[in-house]
Amino acid sequence: MSNTDSSHHDDQIGHIVPIKFLIFICCILLFLTAVTVWVSRYDFTEINIAEMGIILALAVATVKATIVGLYFMHLRWDRAFVGFIFVGSILFVVLFIGIALTDTMEYQPSIIKGDTPKVSDAMDLLKH
Amino acid sequence: MTTLTTQNPNDNYLNHTKGIKSWLFTLDHKRIGVMYLVCVLLAFLLGGIFAMMIRFQLLTPEGTFMTQDQYNQAFTVHGAVMVFLVIIPAVPAALGNFVLPIMLGAKDVAFPKLNLFSWYLWIFGLVFFLIALGAGGIDTGWTFYTPYSIDKASSMGGVIPALIGAFVLGFSSIFTGMNFIVTIHRLRPKGMTWFRMPLFLWATYATAIIQVLATPVIGITLLLLIVERSVGIGIFDPAMGGDPVLYQHFFWFYSHPAVYIMILPAMGVVSELISVHSHRHIFGYKFIAYSSISIAMFGFLVWGHHMFTSGQSALMNIIFSLITFSVSIPSAVKVFNWLATLYKGSISLNTPMLYGLSFIFIFSIGGLTGLHLATLATDIHLHDSYFVVAHFHYVMMGSALIGFLGGIHHWWPKMTGKMYHENWGRVSAILVFIGFNITFFSQFMMGSKGMPRRYATYVEMPEFQIYHIWSTAGSVILAVGFVICAIYLLHSVFAGKKAPANPWGGRSLEWQCPSPPPWDNFPEQPEVGDCYDYSVLEWNEEEQGYDWRKDAVHPGDEQKA
Amino acid sequence: MFSIFTSLFATTTQGAPANFWLPKQASTVAQSVDHTFFVITWICYFFLFVITAALIIFMIKYRRKGNDVIVKGPTHNTPLEIAWTILPLLLVVVIFVVGMRGYLDLQQAPEGSYDVQVTGQKWSWTFEHPKYGATQVAELTVPVNTPVRLLMTSNDVLHSVWIPDFRVKMDVIPGRYTSLWFEAIAVGEYNLNCAEYCGKDHSKMFATVRVIPKEDFEKTMIKLASEYEDMSVGQLPAYAINRLYNRCQSCHTLDGSESTGPSFKGLWDRVKSGDVNFISGEKLSNLYGESTTYEVPENYIRSSLLDPQSHIVKGYLGAMPSFQGQLKDKQITAIIEMFKHLDELTDAEGNITVNPDGTPRQ
Repeated sequence: MSNTDSSHHDDQIGHIVPIKFLIFICCILLFLTAVTVWVSRYDFTEINIAEMGIILALAVATVKATIVGLYFMHLRWDRAFVGFIFVGSILFVVLFIGIALTDTMEYQPSIIKGDTPKVSDAMDLLKH
Repeated sequence: MTTLTTQNPNDNYLNHTKGIKSWLFTLDHKRIGVMYLVCVLLAFLLGGIFAMMIRFQLLTPEGTFMTQDQYNQAFTVHGAVMVFLVIIPAVPAALGNFVLPIMLGAKDVAFPKLNLFSWYLWIFGLVFFLIALGAGGIDTGWTFYTPYSIDKASSMGGVIPALIGAFVLGFSSIFTGMNFIVTIHRLRPKGMTWFRMPLFLWATYATAIIQVLATPVIGITLLLLIVERSVGIGIFDPAMGGDPVLYQHFFWFYSHPAVYIMILPAMGVVSELISVHSHRHIFGYKFIAYSSISIAMFGFLVWGHHMFTSGQSALMNIIFSLITFSVSIPSAVKVFNWLATLYKGSISLNTPMLYGLSFIFIFSIGGLTGLHLATLATDIHLHDSYFVVAHFHYVMMGSALIGFLGGIHHWWPKMTGKMYHENWGRVSAILVFIGFNITFFSQFMMGSKGMPRRYATYVEMPEFQIYHIWSTAGSVILAVGFVICAIYLLHSVFAGKKAPANPWGGRSLEWQCPSPPPWDNFPEQPEVGDCYDYSVLEWNEEEQGYDWRKDAVHPGDEQKA
Repeated sequence: MFSIFTSLFATTTQGAPANFWLPKQASTVAQSVDHTFFVITWICYFFLFVITAALIIFMIKYRRKGNDVIVKGPTHNTPLEIAWTILPLLLVVVIFVVGMRGYLDLQQAPEGSYDVQVTGQKWSWTFEHPKYGATQVAELTVPVNTPVRLLMTSNDVLHSVWIPDFRVKMDVIPGRYTSLWFEAIAVGEYNLNCAEYCGKDHSKMFATVRVIPKEDFEKTMIKLASEYEDMSVGQLPAYAINRLYNRCQSCHTLDGSESTGPSFKGLWDRVKSGDVNFISGEKLSNLYGESTTYEVPENYIRSSLLDPQSHIVKGYLGAMPSFQGQLKDKQITAIIEMFKHLDELTDAEGNITVNPDGTPRQ
């Protein structure tokens, strides 16, 4: 790592987090992993929302990622600018996925339903 | 110039340590830059050979010497090599690595080891491309459109190695970008405020933002494609309920901003060339700086204009067309500002400046024809025709690569410590300019008249032969220009005159250190001032270069007072 | 020289001939597309002229003499810079609106358009006319002055229909319908190209759009739909080589030269004798006979058309698509008859020598 004489000295060492606290965070993450496993086993078709499993799993994953970012990656104690970059890049992903999915929803009516030869081949194979 | 107290005046970064190992394990940004330069130029030669093969194949409607398969492979390799191995790393990684820290007044980039690692990743990327050629070749086009690219029966066997190669090169590009962002944020010396940075730094900074934000998306897309092709997960394959248009969204979400990764640094180079070689303060510094940033931002919102006929919904077509026009504004602003810089300047028509002026003309044509393609009604007709081929060659090759060439000539004395032969340089620059325009202007005409791109033969449309002949003739002139350039540049390394510290009269910091620069760039902190104020310089006949005027007020003095 | 000059100023009256930039106009939308094209092109000429003139004048007028540094001229001028930001912005908004209106016209097919179903397949086009039950290959016949809508899909990879003279283009996507429409304004023949790269013979994926007078259209279609039904076996080979072979020609030659698939020349002899080896290691002659895979050689050919992947000839990739549901029984018979009589239908160079009705070709 190179240095210039005049670079900033304000955060050379960084914030130190007690190990107990990190273990606590780790436990929370493990608990959330268990939640995801539980969600994957629960059949939501009973309450007529088949996609609920995916929605919950992604929600849990988002919470976990945020915790990792905030505590393990020290964003909680870092300069606001770094947090701004982090939030900015999340917005950026939302923009990308949002526009691409808006478009696929727009042209859904033109998809030929059931025209998936490889899927039907695989189904045939399973039957025999 | 401030007095330099180097231990040994002959000690520089080229001879500081010796042996092949001292290069392969170097952490010095200048050496890494030179290594990038050599590799990128060799890759350019490879891509250029394929380009000439394409041009000679199309001399007759039946094709002259390649089969359909061979031709498809040739244009794919040409595109992939030129995009991933040449233009994307050309200015930022090769010139940027050398120039950026010196211009900034730093001793190196922020992460020198990462910098070397990104060069090795480039080499790995190249190796994977060569494996792809050996493993059956690639014939998907550099765009890897699904479902052709996942159809193992008809596309060639080298697709997966090529995808891995592009993936690895993506990381090389991300690391370079990250390095530059951190370097510019953290290693600016005292006095180097944001608005004192040369415009080349603004351009590389804007580029680095795109590299860091957009490249991961192509990485994950290529990974998905590899998985889709090898095991079939049904995300892009319509036979399994996947969506090929979604692939195009993913692909262009990176690949359109990638266009700006290629052109923005070249624009930065041209801002330097135009100002230095006309000894004129750059006109509207802030407008040019902000236009770089706004191109980087808007560049993310326009990818759908590659998909107007792809089955994208009409709503999205209209939205993307509208936003696309917004990108044309900052580009136009740059062109007007460069022209205004030339106004009342003292224009030296030397080799770098000839490239700079070529850039303005060629980029104007490339940019203006973008209007035809951004407009929905006309793009429907022009899409996937030679008009598009001509348009992006005017931007990618005529602009990005000519900017790169201009930059090479501008910083060549600094990099090698030698002067190249000026008159041969001019001859070559003029040949490149003429050859380029003949090659690609004829492609505009045949494209709008109905010649589709990626055609190995055009038996049903023999009326286009005359345009193809023109185009091939132009490409020969272009190739001669490049060969001359290669010869005199190589010659200068061995037998060129010794270069002065400041041959052009530049004010940015790299001209304050000797040519070639010492190992640690600046033995003493350089003086940061207005990098476009040439009034402090005067010609020194003895050195054949420029020096500080005796009575000039040094920025340091100002601060003391 | 003068003609080039005048064509730069091309007016865009409907049905204009080809000019310096664009091919002839042969559809109703072409005029408005060309109009937009020339509005933009003139804007380009203007800006390019201004930029180039400035470059040349400055290069000459302010050329450096000697090496001294001379500093003059302004470093910025905010009102000027704002002006050259805002003015192009207004200009491009106008271009956008014009282009969008033209695009909406291209998007919406008029009510009651004549429908044609298009299938793209490596590397040929099939056009079905549901109204008449007629199928055309590599050739599309449509009536003049009638809006025609193409409803398109692909059997394999992406393709794209482009008819330059009509200024229309649309990608053809597997698993999905896309559409485009046009109304031809002049009788004649027009090129239809594949514009989306689709593999090996992409550049040979060509079709002719034949625009004929309205009054002839129905007659032509009825004839096309049923011409083979009344034919005797003896007439079928000439029909097949003219009407069906164009679907095969991108992969199968008639002169014995190599291509994506085996040449048709001498094919019947090879098949009859069973002298064909497959990738699986089997030999065709071993598959013939009662209660085996193919009772007679004709069955092998039928199977090759309907289920081409079941036996792939050694040395080939097996790129052939299935023609199941696309060929009527009698058409398959016609193809088999064509193989049997290929020598009478072609010359030594593989040129077709007969017309569909069996008369010798000129």
